[in-house]
Amino acid sequence: MKYMILLYGSQQDYDVLSGRATDRPAMSAEQVAAMHKHMETFHQALAESGELVDARGLSEPVHARRVQVRDGAPVVTDGPYPETQEVLAGYTIVECASFDRATEIASGLVDPDAPGGYVDVRPVLEGVEDLAG
Amino acid sequence: MSEAASSVEGLLRALAPQVLGALVRRYGHFDSAEDAVQEALIVAASGWPRDGVPENPRGWLITVASRRLTDLLRGEQARRRREDTVARWVLPEQWQAPAADRPPADADDTLILLFLCCHPALSPASQIALTLRAVGGLSTAEVARAFLVPEATMTRRISRGKQRIRDSGLRFAPPTGPERADRLAAVLHVLYLIFTEGYARTAGPGLLRGDLTAEAIRLTRLVQRLLPDDPEVTGLLALMLLTDARAPARTGPNGELVPMAEQDRRRWRADQIAEGIALITAALPRGVVGPYQLQAAIAAVHDEAPDAAATDWAQITALYKVLLAISENPVVALNHAVAVAMSRGAPAGLALLAELADDARLADDPRLPAARAHLWELTGERVAAREAFRMAAARSTNLAQQRYLNARADRLAGEPPTVGGGGAG
Repeated sequence: MKYMILLYGSQQDYDVLSGRATDRPAMSAEQVAAMHKHMETFHQALAESGELVDARGLSEPVHARRVQVRDGAPVVTDGPYPETQEVLAGYTIVECASFDRATEIASGLVDPDAPGGYVDVRPVLEGVEDLAG
Repeated sequence: MSEAASSVEGLLRALAPQVLGALVRRYGHFDSAEDAVQEALIVAASGWPRDGVPENPRGWLITVASRRLTDLLRGEQARRRREDTVARWVLPEQWQAPAADRPPADADDTLILLFLCCHPALSPASQIALTLRAVGGLSTAEVARAFLVPEATMTRRISRGKQRIRDSGLRFAPPTGPERADRLAAVLHVLYLIFTEGYARTAGPGLLRGDLTAEAIRLTRLVQRLLPDDPEVTGLLALMLLTDARAPARTGPNGELVPMAEQDRRRWRADQIAEGIALITAALPRGVVGPYQLQAAIAAVHDEAPDAAATDWAQITALYKVLLAISENPVVALNHAVAVAMSRGAPAGLALLAELADDARLADDPRLPAARAHLWELTGERVAAREAFRMAAARSTNLAQQRYLNARADRLAGEPPTVGGGGAG
């Protein structure tokens, strides 16, 4: 079974990461390096256990485009999110024995230093027939 | 400029279109991306000569420009949110074309940028300014200096051009199908205009304009490397090289214009002539002969003559005749008439020039009276020649050219020549 672990962040979280203070202090170079190191070893371990399917980070929300259709024509909105809105910032897809194992993996992706920080785990459908189940 | 600074500048100018291409491909927003790249270039131009060039200069510039773009977009989005105007745009219909119509993704970004900057929706002045900045990597101040206009004027010209591109919903992709030939012709025309703008004034007070000819040649070289099989692109490069080769002999010690017949041909740049001739010789047999190839061929005939008297005017006349047949242009007709005069005698040329006298497109052009003046002088009609030289001088807006034409008129009146004198022309 595949599970997607979703990580969230606002534009402000990206700012803190890129060394810009908001209402929180900016992360130091050491903190950023430590975070990268953690993500690397974390995913390396998943790859070695054969549980890693894919892991990606998304660019800053400011670069998002929202596409809608109005009167039959696709309409694009540049930068649709307010700066404080939490949006999808990245994901890790794992293939593992159970939801509980996926949840265990997910706990390693929660930033322990961010109060109230969280990630979501969602089972991935393998086909439309799963929807009926 | 120090050696380090000038080598950094060359590197930055070469990287500018690649970095802009990468940014627009990834994030869109051509107009803001172009500003972001300019700012990254400025940071690099001051930092690199001092601190050294980073290991991956292209990656460095892309990173810095991306960060800057993010800031610009955030500022813009925040402002819009305050004003409660969302940045919405309708996806242009051509973006929804079937995938099979899509050009290959690896199409060269520099070429796409050129197509974008030379889009027919833009005025020629905007096309030129935007090309020099976005593709040439020149700053607004440099472009403004080259065109002798205030920087604020050039800033407006560039932002108007970018606004047009944004409003036209142009996709970052090369034109395809029948549109492509027209769009390439527009690119070549802009490069040609940059060249002539520089060349026409190399003798004037704006000596910096010589930079424009060099820049036109550099950009045309770039296009020629990307499209080596297009004979008109090669023709244009050859034309520029063969024309610019004469630049050292075009002006006398006091900045006065020296006509080709009187130029010291030993001062012509032999390497440029050799390269231009090799290019045009290779391009000509490749099928359709276009106007740039013909003009390059004419320039080659001039450049190959050891002295003015040895010029193969019959060959030049024949080439102008072909050129005239494909482009209805009074200046070409004028040059053809001069070539006829040189190969068959002044009266034959004067007869052809008389036909152009009523052409409204030449009404303010000094070239027609100047050509007639030269030929009347040859046929001994001194009074008509003098009047025509005076009229040509009055029409000219170039100081060196005015001084040359007035000197010719004075010579016919038997007045003492003033060429090289210190007085006002």
